[in-house]
Amino acid sequence: MVGITRIATYVPRRRLDRTVLGQTWGTRVAPGRRSVAGLDEDPLTMAVDAVLACLDDADPAGFDALYFVSTSSPYLEKQVASVVATATDLPRTTAVADFGGSVRAGVAALRVALDGVRAGSLRNVLVAAADARLAEPESELEPVLGDGAAAVAVGRDRVIAEFVSAASVAEEFTYFWRTDEQRTVQVTEPRFGSSYGYARDVAEAVTAALRKAEVPPASVAGLALGAPDERTAAEAAKRAGCDPGRQLVPSLGSEVGVLGAPDPLALLARSLETAAPGDFLVVAGYGEGADALVFRATDALPASRPRPLADRLAHALPVTSYGRFLKARGLVPAETAGEPVTSIIEWKELAQDVRLHGSRCEACGLVQYPQTRVCIGCQARDRLVGHKLAKRGTVFTYTIDNLAPVAEHPLPMAVIDLEGGGRLYLQVTDAADGEVKVGTPVELTFRRLHEAGGNRHYFWKARPVL
Amino acid sequence: MKDQVAVIGVGCTKFGDRFERSYEELIADAAFDAYADAGIEPAEIDAAYLGTYLPGAGGGKAAVSLGDALRLYDRPITRVENYCATGTDAFRNGCLAVAAGVADVVLVLGAEKLKDRGGRGIPRLGHPLLARGNTAPGLFALAANRYMHTFGLGRETLARVAVKNHHNGALNDKAHLRMEVTAEQVLKAPIIAWPFGLFDCCPTTDGAAAAIICRADRARRFKRDPVLVKGAGLAVTTGRPYFDPTFDYLGFRSTQAAARQAYAMAGVGPRDIDFAEVHDCFTWTEISNIEDLGFCAKGEGGRLVEEGRTALDGDIPVNPSGGLKSFGHPIGASGVRMIYECVTQLRGEAGARQVKHPELGLAHNVGGPGAVSCVVVLGRG
Repeated sequence: MVGITRIATYVPRRRLDRTVLGQTWGTRVAPGRRSVAGLDEDPLTMAVDAVLACLDDADPAGFDALYFVSTSSPYLEKQVASVVATATDLPRTTAVADFGGSVRAGVAALRVALDGVRAGSLRNVLVAAADARLAEPESELEPVLGDGAAAVAVGRDRVIAEFVSAASVAEEFTYFWRTDEQRTVQVTEPRFGSSYGYARDVAEAVTAALRKAEVPPASVAGLALGAPDERTAAEAAKRAGCDPGRQLVPSLGSEVGVLGAPDPLALLARSLETAAPGDFLVVAGYGEGADALVFRATDALPASRPRPLADRLAHALPVTSYGRFLKARGLVPAETAGEPVTSIIEWKELAQDVRLHGSRCEACGLVQYPQTRVCIGCQARDRLVGHKLAKRGTVFTYTIDNLAPVAEHPLPMAVIDLEGGGRLYLQVTDAADGEVKVGTPVELTFRRLHEAGGNRHYFWKARPVL
Repeated sequence: MKDQVAVIGVGCTKFGDRFERSYEELIADAAFDAYADAGIEPAEIDAAYLGTYLPGAGGGKAAVSLGDALRLYDRPITRVENYCATGTDAFRNGCLAVAAGVADVVLVLGAEKLKDRGGRGIPRLGHPLLARGNTAPGLFALAANRYMHTFGLGRETLARVAVKNHHNGALNDKAHLRMEVTAEQVLKAPIIAWPFGLFDCCPTTDGAAAAIICRADRARRFKRDPVLVKGAGLAVTTGRPYFDPTFDYLGFRSTQAAARQAYAMAGVGPRDIDFAEVHDCFTWTEISNIEDLGFCAKGEGGRLVEEGRTALDGDIPVNPSGGLKSFGHPIGASGVRMIYECVTQLRGEAGARQVKHPELGLAHNVGGPGAVSCVVVLGRG
C-alpha cells in the first residue's frame, strides 16, 4: 500500500487581525485573522518547522527524498530542498528537488512523491510546502493571504491515507502571477478567474480522479480544496457534484488566510484529524490547470492522527499595527549588522551549524557543543565523536536584551540545557513578554539570523514550548 | 616577584567623552603625567607595555601606537590584549620584565578610544552564527539572572552598588560620570539587558592611564615614595561559558584562580586587603567579584554591599575611585587606571575619597565574561 504516512502543518505564531488592515486603509475587510511570518521566517524556515513536526520521533535516516515547494522561495537560484533536508538531518543520499511556479505545486509535488514510491524508485519521501506571499499594500489580496507550511510523508509502511487515484488538467490561464521583477502577487479580474479558471479546472480534475477511483462524488468524506476564497471553493465543489456544506473541509481563511502552495495539504491534514478509516478524501491544487488526488483513510489513521490545527493556532502573538506587519514581512528597512558566513565556514561546519550535531566525549561521556578537539569536561584529546543534539531543552539562564544589533527588540537570549545533554546559547524567537525565564521549556527552530555579504544566513533559535 | 617591583609614578587622563582628544594624544597625556609624577625623563624608559583591547582608526593595533604617540623608539614595546583584563595584564607583564631583570624602568600604559566608534562602542566579534545576539551587558546578565534566581537577590540590591560607586565617583575629578544617583533612579532607568538598567551599566568611555615601574632596590632614587607590587595573578577559563554544560553561572572561576595566585605570591589573604578596585562593568559583577576575591562567602556579596561594608568608610571599601561604573571603562585603560587609584590611595593622596590608612590595596579585572581575570596586590613600600 502506498500513501501518506505522516502529515503536519506549521503556522507562524504571529497573527494579524484583519480589522487592523481595515482601519489602516479605511476599507471593509472580512472578519478573522491572518498568520504573519516573522522577520526571521520565510518558506525555507517554515518548511524546516513543518518537516520537524511531521517527523516527530521518526528517524530521518529512513527517508530517501525531500521535495521543497514554494512560490515565494527565499532563493531564485540555490536549492532550498537540500537546506531543509540537511537541517532536518536527512541522509546525504537524499534525492532533493524544488517545486514552484504556482500554488498548484504543493499537490503536484505530492503526486510526484506518490508516483515515485508507487513505482518503487523511492521508499519514503517528504514533501514540504511553504509560502509567505506578499500582496500589494491596500489590495484586496492583502487581508486574504496567510503564511504557513505543511509537510507530508509518503511511503509504504504504516500508511494512514492510501493513495487511490490522481488526475490532472493543464490549461494556460492567467489568474495569479508574479514576474521575476515583482515582489507582490498580481491577480486578474477575480470573478472571472474564480469561475472560468479555478472552478472549471478543479472540478474537471476532481471529477476525473473520482471516476478513476470509481468513487461517486457524494461518497467523498472530505474535499480539501486550496482555493482563493470559500465561495470559489464552493463553486468548484458543486461543479464536481459535491455538497459544499457537507463535504468541503472548512477553509483556513478566517483563522490563517490562504496559504498558497501548502494550503490544500494543510486542509488534507485538517480532514485527517477526524476522518474515519475507509473515508475517501480528495485534495486538489490549482494553477494553470489543476491536480486532484484521491485517498482512502486506513485503519492505521486513528493511532497516527496529525496534531490538531487548533493546537497549533492557540497562543497567537498579535501583530498590533500595520507598521509591525510591514516590519515582520521585511517591507521596511531593518538594520541588522552581521558578518557573512562564507561558503568555507558553511561547508566546514555544516554538521555543527545546520545539522546541529555536537560532540560526546568517549572518555567522560559529556555531551558538548560546538565541536572541538579537546573535551571541556575532562580535557581528553580527540575522544570526541559526533553527537546529534536534541531539539528540546530548558532555559538555564537568560537575558532580555535591548542593545543587540538586531531588527526587533527586546531580544531574549537564553542558555539552554538540551534533553540528553549539551548546552546552547541561542536567540529566543516567538516569545511573548514574560515567557522566557529560568526553567522555561523550549524547542529549537531553524530561522533566518541575518543578512550579510549579499546572502541570507540561517541558524537555530529557541522558542517557548506552549 | 613579591617586593621586587616598585611603582614610582602614575598618570591618568580625565575619563569621559574625549571627542577633542585623539588616541595618541590621550596616550601622551597619561604618559607625561606619569613621567612628571616619577620625576624621570622619557629616555630613562627601558621598555614599555601598551594595553589596548580594540584597535581603532586612531591606532592601538600594535605597539607602534605607543612609540609614535611618545616618540619612544629603539626599545622593546609590546601590545597586550586580554579582554577587559587588558590593563592589569599589561601591568603584570611589565612587572615580569622588571622582575626578570631584563628592564630596570618600564612604562605601562593603557589606552582606549571607544567613543570614536559611534553609539554602541564595542563591536561584536567572533563567529558569525554561534552566540549571535550577544552583547557585553547581555553576557553578564546571563550570570546575573542565574545568580539572582539562585540566591534570591533583587534589582534593589544591585542598585546599591550603583549608588555607592556614583557617590565615590562624584568625589573624583577625573571620573566620567560625576553625579550621585538614587536607588530609585537606578531602578527606573531604561532596561539595557534584564536585569541591568542603564545605571547598572558602566559607560562607554575614552581615557588613558600610565604607571612607571622599576626594580624595587632602585626605587628610592626617584622622587616619590614607592609602592611595592606584592602579588599578581592571571587566569584564563573558557570564553564560551554558555557552551560549558558544567558551568553554574554563580561566579567566575578565573577570578578565584587569579586571586589565589596573587594572594599566594603576596603571602596574604583577602582579610588583609584594606581596599579594592574591583571590576564593576555591571552592578552585579561587583557583587559576584567580591565573593570570588574572598571578601565574603559565595552568595553574601549583596549583603556586604547592603550593610555598607564596601563603602568608603566600610571595613573593605570597594571602588573608592568610583569604579568602572562612575569613573568609566575605556577597556585597556581601566586596569592601569586601577593601579593609578591604588597607588594614589596608598600614598594617602586621594583627597575626599581617601580610604583610612591603607597598607594593602587590590586591583581586579575580569573579561569575557569570566574568560580572563587579573588580580594585582599593591602595598606601601
